[in-house]
Amino acid sequence: MRPYQVATAAAIVLIAAVAMFDSSAAFNPSAGTSPGDVGARWYPFWAAAIMAAAGLVVAYRALTTPQSAEGVFAGRTTLFAVLKLALPMLVYATLIGGVGWRTEETIYTVIPRLGFYVATALYMGGFAWWIGRYKIWWVALILVAFPLVIFVAFEVGFRVSLPKSVLYEQGILPF
Amino acid sequence: MEVFGQLAGGFATALQPINILMLFVAIVLGLVIGVLPGLGGTSGVAILLPISLFIKNGALPGSNEVTAIIFLAGIYWGALFGGVITSILFNIPGEPWAVVLLFDGFPLAKRLGRPGLALASSFVSSFVGAFVATVLFTFFALPIADKALQFGPAELFAVFVLSFATLIGLGAEAPMKSVAMLAFGLLLAAVGFDTITGEQRLNFGQVSLLSGIGFVPVTIGLFGIGEILASAEEQGIGYVEKLSARLGLQDVREAFVELWKRIRLVLSNSIIGFFFGVLPGHGATAASFLGYGLARQYSKNKENFGKGEISGIMGPQSAADAAGVASLVPMITLGIPGSPTSAVIMAGLFIWGLTPGPVLFIQHENFVWGLIASIYLGHLMTFVLCLLAVPLLAMIMRVPYAIITPFIIVISIIGSYSLNNSMLDVFITVIFGLVGYWLRKLKYPLAPLVVALVLGDSTERELRKALIAGHGSPLYFFNSPLSTVLMLTALVLVLLPLIRTLRARRRGAAVTPGPAGAAH
Repeated sequence: MRPYQVATAAAIVLIAAVAMFDSSAAFNPSAGTSPGDVGARWYPFWAAAIMAAAGLVVAYRALTTPQSAEGVFAGRTTLFAVLKLALPMLVYATLIGGVGWRTEETIYTVIPRLGFYVATALYMGGFAWWIGRYKIWWVALILVAFPLVIFVAFEVGFRVSLPKSVLYEQGILPF
Repeated sequence: MEVFGQLAGGFATALQPINILMLFVAIVLGLVIGVLPGLGGTSGVAILLPISLFIKNGALPGSNEVTAIIFLAGIYWGALFGGVITSILFNIPGEPWAVVLLFDGFPLAKRLGRPGLALASSFVSSFVGAFVATVLFTFFALPIADKALQFGPAELFAVFVLSFATLIGLGAEAPMKSVAMLAFGLLLAAVGFDTITGEQRLNFGQVSLLSGIGFVPVTIGLFGIGEILASAEEQGIGYVEKLSARLGLQDVREAFVELWKRIRLVLSNSIIGFFFGVLPGHGATAASFLGYGLARQYSKNKENFGKGEISGIMGPQSAADAAGVASLVPMITLGIPGSPTSAVIMAGLFIWGLTPGPVLFIQHENFVWGLIASIYLGHLMTFVLCLLAVPLLAMIMRVPYAIITPFIIVISIIGSYSLNNSMLDVFITVIFGLVGYWLRKLKYPLAPLVVALVLGDSTERELRKALIAGHGSPLYFFNSPLSTVLMLTALVLVLLPLIRTLRARRRGAAVTPGPAGAAH
């Protein structure tokens, strides 16, 4: 447990240090600050300072007090169980928005923007197929039913506009 | 009594068909969320928070901000009751506050073969706890709010500091971890424009960060996604006990008889749970453990505890539900959340354009009393629903992992996107999901982070207003007796863990280790 505790505390100190650096103008409030006021950067500076100090104490205590020998994960299976959930989630979130960038002349697309509904169909269908090991027609049903129900509930019912796919812009799909 | 008139008005509001309907929907959702082991009440309310905005904006005919608060609070009530069902029937806590029910609830159901009695005892005592707390809420809310109206920036800042101090001093985890999380929350809240001078800060040149880091995407990530990831680990371990989930009339009658035998315990635990719940940051979970401890302490037959003792169900349940209701009291009257879940509900108020705090009682009297009346109605409804629908609710456990888990992630992503139509929020949710999972594993408390995030802006504003008023002198905080007392109490609370360690150390050094010394 010790290396994980120390690494996490170090990350906390690092985040705080970056924030302190950004707020290092704390001690000379900008012009136009009313008398008595400490300025915009004073408060985040001290919040970050407290955070850094607390992180250092946590790291120190993790180094000096006895820690359990086991790691964060109880064996490889639990690590895989979490990764099996976390990685598809990251892929899913990426697929909704797609990956690409634009310069002044052209738009480069690495992964096309699939939008919420298509990405959800792939995600839920894929999960049922891969983790649930369902028969293919069950997967197909999940793949169609969930996006459709969500479309009716949110787009029609609550009038929430969720991100649309590139196919929507070409008029191929209603979402 | 002025209160009764206002409460009657509240009932008139809460009994409008749309409000009753949404209360019912919310409670059913809350019960489902309570039953699902991967999803807690806080995450449930956070994920559905954006929907409350649409409700407030009149997406449903006749709905307004009262409907929205009734909806959010209803989810909490449902989850408070529902979390115990899986604890008792399957030995799997559906909510953190139902963990205590594993000690006696499950043995009563399994070893003594009385699942119906165990469930009925839990529901009956939950109901009493919630009812007592709601009555106290009704009579305490207005006086507290009246007092709070006279608070200046110094007093308000002192109240914020006090609530942070309770999170540090009375938290279950290492105090320095609480401090780190608290400061992290304050820092996150400071990103974007400064509310007083309008300067940009902590946005590192990114325009998208100017409006700040939203409470909702962070909370959905920390709680919704974080919890789901944590529960993924247990998928291999979990096996579901098959117990009959039927709840007969005989069980309910017997539960009432058992309640009557323990009425003093249940009533006193409800009152203690209420005052415990009013303290910031300590919602139902801490109260449930306290309630169990008290029930055991004052029991004549301690040896029955852990084997299916009904006091071991009724004690924690009455305290937990009372604390759940009580956690709304400081939120409504002072603008300080009493628990992570009420922090999320408070964020809802901000999103709807309301300012939680004493002004609500003047400007939105209807809102406050409608909410209070709906707590009475909500618990009655939850109680009846629980008695009728346990077999149905227990069936939710059979929904396969491969469907329910991705579905919760999908709903979380809809929730975080739809508030601002922002993909950035979706990524914040996903990242904070991973962060929340990791922090949970390393035993960092998340409540201080969430409470600080929701209070960060107001804390800074009151601090700086006080400093401007005092011409930059921190002595301004000690001008009024009230703020002085609050500040000193906060100081004591922060020092509490330190005092505890020092005393333990001194005792360890002074007494030679041995059976005689250990007895002290």
